[in-house]
Amino acid sequence: MTKRLFILILVVAAILVLALFAGPRPINPFHMNELEREIIFSVRFPRLIVAVLMGGSLGAAGTVLQGVLRNPLADPYILGLSSGAALGAGVAIVLGLTFLGVLTVPLMAFVGAILTGLLVGLMGWRRGGLWPERLLLAGIGVGFMLSAVLMLVMSISSNEGLRRAILWIFGDLGMSDWSLIPYGALLIVIGLIIALKHAKALNALMLGDDLSHSLGFSPRKETAMLFVSAGLLTAASVTLGGMVGFIGLLMPHIMRFFVGTDNRVLLPASVLGGGTLLVVADLIGRTVMIPSELPAGMITALLGAPYFLYLLRRRDVIG
Amino acid sequence: MSSDRAQGDILELRGVSFSYGKEKALIDGLELGIGEGDFIGLLGANGSGKSTILKLLSGILKPSRGEVRLWGKHITALRNRDRAKLLSYLPQTLDMRVPFKVEELAAMGLYPYDTPPELTVEQALGTVGLSDKRGSMIANLSGGERRRAYIAMTLLQGAGIILLDEPLANLDIKFQMEIVRLLRELNSKRDISIVMALHDVNLAFQFDKIVLIKEGKVLGAGTPAEVLTEARLREAFDIDVSVHRLEEGTFITYGESRQL
Repeated sequence: MTKRLFILILVVAAILVLALFAGPRPINPFHMNELEREIIFSVRFPRLIVAVLMGGSLGAAGTVLQGVLRNPLADPYILGLSSGAALGAGVAIVLGLTFLGVLTVPLMAFVGAILTGLLVGLMGWRRGGLWPERLLLAGIGVGFMLSAVLMLVMSISSNEGLRRAILWIFGDLGMSDWSLIPYGALLIVIGLIIALKHAKALNALMLGDDLSHSLGFSPRKETAMLFVSAGLLTAASVTLGGMVGFIGLLMPHIMRFFVGTDNRVLLPASVLGGGTLLVVADLIGRTVMIPSELPAGMITALLGAPYFLYLLRRRDVIG
Repeated sequence: MSSDRAQGDILELRGVSFSYGKEKALIDGLELGIGEGDFIGLLGANGSGKSTILKLLSGILKPSRGEVRLWGKHITALRNRDRAKLLSYLPQTLDMRVPFKVEELAAMGLYPYDTPPELTVEQALGTVGLSDKRGSMIANLSGGERRRAYIAMTLLQGAGIILLDEPLANLDIKFQMEIVRLLRELNSKRDISIVMALHDVNLAFQFDKIVLIKEGKVLGAGTPAEVLTEARLREAFDIDVSVHRLEEGTFITYGESRQL
């Protein structure tokens, strides 16, 4: 496992460096002129940071949700949490809310994600338990609805708002607001600390509520804390660059192959992998159709949606 | 321990009542005690309340009236982790899709501890006979092996009481005997108190003590020979039965086949 982890870290580092210098205008790191240095440090580097933060938090959120819900199809995007976060953030911006200063937008995104999670959970709940199919359908339905509401809210506000609505719905890193990086990062760090602190409980919850109780955890409290952590991670990601789907779905599956299922290792690995995947998706989006750019969220959907359908076809995944 | 404790009982239900939601009480004023080193079979038909009783004993369900005491203390007064060191519970359905390896699953038994107790994962897997499967995924095991992997986890948990809900259900006879033998060994060699729910009357003779349950009430408690009478079994299972006591042992036949 340590060998695989080592290879993984090398691959990640190589990709990050490559992403910095490749792109619509490839730059030779050893012969940079003034303009190229400006592009690297003022444009590509912040964008890389945003991609790593967003992708990493989505990877972790997916790992947490798949574990808590014991459902390999769970993902913040599919379950509608991303749409809820986007709507929360959108409402804060349109109404010009500032009651918590610069943290207002990320925290409204968090509230949106949590309320959506509760609503989807309520709809997926039947006869004392969560039904995987109901939960997924509820998530997809609620997600559509909230995205439509967000579009509506943005359309009736202003032109600038409309631009942002599109950004949030397609997850376009090129339009992200870099001044939000520190606040997004703060939410991500808090979310990750909570998730890692409860990683043992997450392992136990994967065996079922009764067994996790027998192993010395309170399933309800642990589930609530882990859900809050997934909400924080999703909210941070959406605040930074909008709704990007399927990273949370893909990462736990890919990383389980490298490091196994123990969430104490799988969580950090999914952060690493998620960050890298989004960097790559963004790189592809920036380069395949020069001079126009494709939103990174579109690329991750093209990669992730077929895998989602494949999992859906596998009989052992649902019910 | 506490002088409040009934003689020898380390886990007790005292006047416990329970109902799911607003339904009529499934368990009503139940008294039940488990002593150190007991090997108890909780016998009853489907829906008799065996699972509910085990969940009450484990602290998963909270009684609406009465109390559950573990080593003389209210089970809810103990911290979750401390309770886990004294008492473990294995549900009837064990998820076969959990994406863990045998050794990873077993090692979860150490979660309640900061410093692991003496027993190692290798030893626990050796005891349940899964040493050669330590790297296998749970999903790739047979039903009996999976059951044993979870028992290895329980062993590492180091609790003196293990509650098992129908651990023999859906297993071939061979695996049933294997699990019973393993549990019996843990009981005699490690002095672990074992309580398990079962519905197969003929397996009941393997136990030191049988508690016969119907509609959440104790119909009889004692040695299998004392409890398993034709009259009681007829009442508990609502079917015509015969008890045959032969030199080779006692066994029970039902309905038409009672004329042996």
